Amino acid sequence: MTVASIEERIETLTEEQLRHGLAVFRAKLRAPEAAYLNACVHCGLCADSCHYYRTEPVLDNVPAHKLDHVAAAFKRHFTAAGRLAPGLVGARPFDRTMVRAWLDAVFGRCTLCGRCALNCTIGIGLPRVFRAARAALAAMDLVPDDLQATVDNSLEHGNNMAITRKEWVETVQWLEEELQMETGDPGARLPLDKHGAKILFTVNPREPKFFPLSLLASAKVFWAAGEDWTLASDPGWDLTNYGLFNCNDEQAGRITRNLVDAMERLGCQTLVIGECGHGFGAARWEGPEWLQTRYPFELRSVLELLEEYIESGRITVDPSRNPQLVTLHDPCNLVRHGGVSEPQRRVLRRCVAHFVEMTPSREHNFCCGGGGGQLAMAQYKDRRIRAGGMKAQQIRATGAEIVVAPCHNCIDQLMELNKEYGLGIQIRTVAEMVAAALVTVGEPAAEGKATP
Amino acid sequence: MSAAVPQPLHLAVLAAAAWAVGALAFAWRRARSFGRRVLFAPPAGDPAAGVRYAFTAALLPQAKESVRLHLPSYAAGVLFHLGAFAALGRLAATMAGLELPPGPAWAVASIALLGAAAGLALLARRAITPHLRGLSTLDDYLANVLTTSFVGLGGAALLHPPLEPAWLVAAVLLLVYVPVGKIRHCVFFFSARAAMGAFFGYRGTFPSARQGG
Repeated sequence: MTVASIEERIETLTEEQLRHGLAVFRAKLRAPEAAYLNACVHCGLCADSCHYYRTEPVLDNVPAHKLDHVAAAFKRHFTAAGRLAPGLVGARPFDRTMVRAWLDAVFGRCTLCGRCALNCTIGIGLPRVFRAARAALAAMDLVPDDLQATVDNSLEHGNNMAITRKEWVETVQWLEEELQMETGDPGARLPLDKHGAKILFTVNPREPKFFPLSLLASAKVFWAAGEDWTLASDPGWDLTNYGLFNCNDEQAGRITRNLVDAMERLGCQTLVIGECGHGFGAARWEGPEWLQTRYPFELRSVLELLEEYIESGRITVDPSRNPQLVTLHDPCNLVRHGGVSEPQRRVLRRCVAHFVEMTPSREHNFCCGGGGGQLAMAQYKDRRIRAGGMKAQQIRATGAEIVVAPCHNCIDQLMELNKEYGLGIQIRTVAEMVAAALVTVGEPAAEGKATP
Repeated sequence: MSAAVPQPLHLAVLAAAAWAVGALAFAWRRARSFGRRVLFAPPAGDPAAGVRYAFTAALLPQAKESVRLHLPSYAAGVLFHLGAFAALGRLAATMAGLELPPGPAWAVASIALLGAAAGLALLARRAITPHLRGLSTLDDYLANVLTTSFVGLGGAALLHPPLEPAWLVAAVLLLVYVPVGKIRHCVFFFSARAAMGAFFGYRGTFPSARQGG
């Protein structure tokens, strides 16, 4: 069976489908979004806050212009002024032309990073509006195919890369042997399905697939800390949730359910989300909303756990073992939208000899360009790489040799930027830096001091 | 310094003001009717602290790159709004039959005229900056022209009382237009900014751990 292209699907949209899309859009709006859609004054000061605009200064990349496509339909269908005087207030109907504009604006030119929201004169939370627009497009089967395929993988296989249970288990077993060799401890484990373990640790499927040393590093730190932890063998080990990006909340909720079910199945106390920005955002902030319930367990970022290990003395680290100049990338879903900005800094300051911040940093960071599902949408690759130019500039300005990114999606993008912009950097996770700095029993700790 | 207000214009201003307040209240209530989002994820911070931050430090240049990069536009915007508030204050006083003493009248006139100049500058910027021109609808120009006229005439009429009727006509036109177009942000600025502050406050992002870059 031939799958129709997205343009063919737009071309054959029926009036009923358009009405359904608009109804879904309306259903996703609450009072804050209604206020946002009434509030833009077209001052244009948001333009420079967007990495798309900064690297390609055209009208289509101005956040207010992207918002305007959505606001135009909102005004036309949901405000009196838009119905009575559409030409005056810029109201336009929700038709095929508008659908194309939405698709290009909210999927093709936005990573939902939210930097524009902080810089908006009014304070418009553009990503919240764009999520409603993406939901409408999803309801009309207009999610870019490769992004939807990633979601479908999670729904069908329990992880977004369609890794089989056998592959996953074998990878974990192989890494366990590696851990035992590296630590010299035959009792070192990567526990699978350990019932009653305190912690269920979840990972990005890119770790077993492409970056097993990241998982090994986390396991080594857990081993050093004497943590009571486990991985799940069945659905529930993958922390990613591209439902955050296709904005089909029903599908996103089903993917979140994998984590909740694994926690219940294994009887763990704390769900620990590994280094993944959107995974943290999806599980910590959106998951309970998708499921319309509070989790009956604690959820934490692994970064908070790593900090706790160091601060409590459960592990000892020696910063001189990471002598290079290190900088930190702030994933948007972890920091700006996630509220986790300091643990990773405190950890790195204890684990590396020389640390330098990017400018700007924390919630003011620039998106790497890989967020919002962009890494999964091949048709927008050129834009993604160009938009990543802002992050490349930031990195180059630090002079750092190592960029630490607590997010595997960001790492993928940074690797491409490294190649494209000739940055000559190494890219690491926080756990990798901690593992490299670990002082294990019997080893002397050097006197190296971390830079404040 | 103020001329006698012709009664029909006086009534027209009051009627337009009533329309503006009523229609804005309706628009605000309609937006509120979209409902609240019940949050299940436990907070990481204090939404109220986020709102306070959003209305204070988050608006300052050190916390806002868009301001730092566009200080002249920011200053013009601040002046334009100060001018509008001055002219509105004067309108309220006029409707109440109060006459400003010479000192305050000069101050209000100066602020209003500076505000009108800022409004004209912003209008020119909109017309000549490509991405702003591309963003703009008829509403953007009309809202500016109506406000600038009201603010400018409000200042000028203090210095030259025969302009008073023209100013009141400008006031009527502006007040009638307020709920229709972008000037609705006089209400939605507050609800949008509060929502944004509460969102980032709930998630522990606001107040900022360290302001600025």
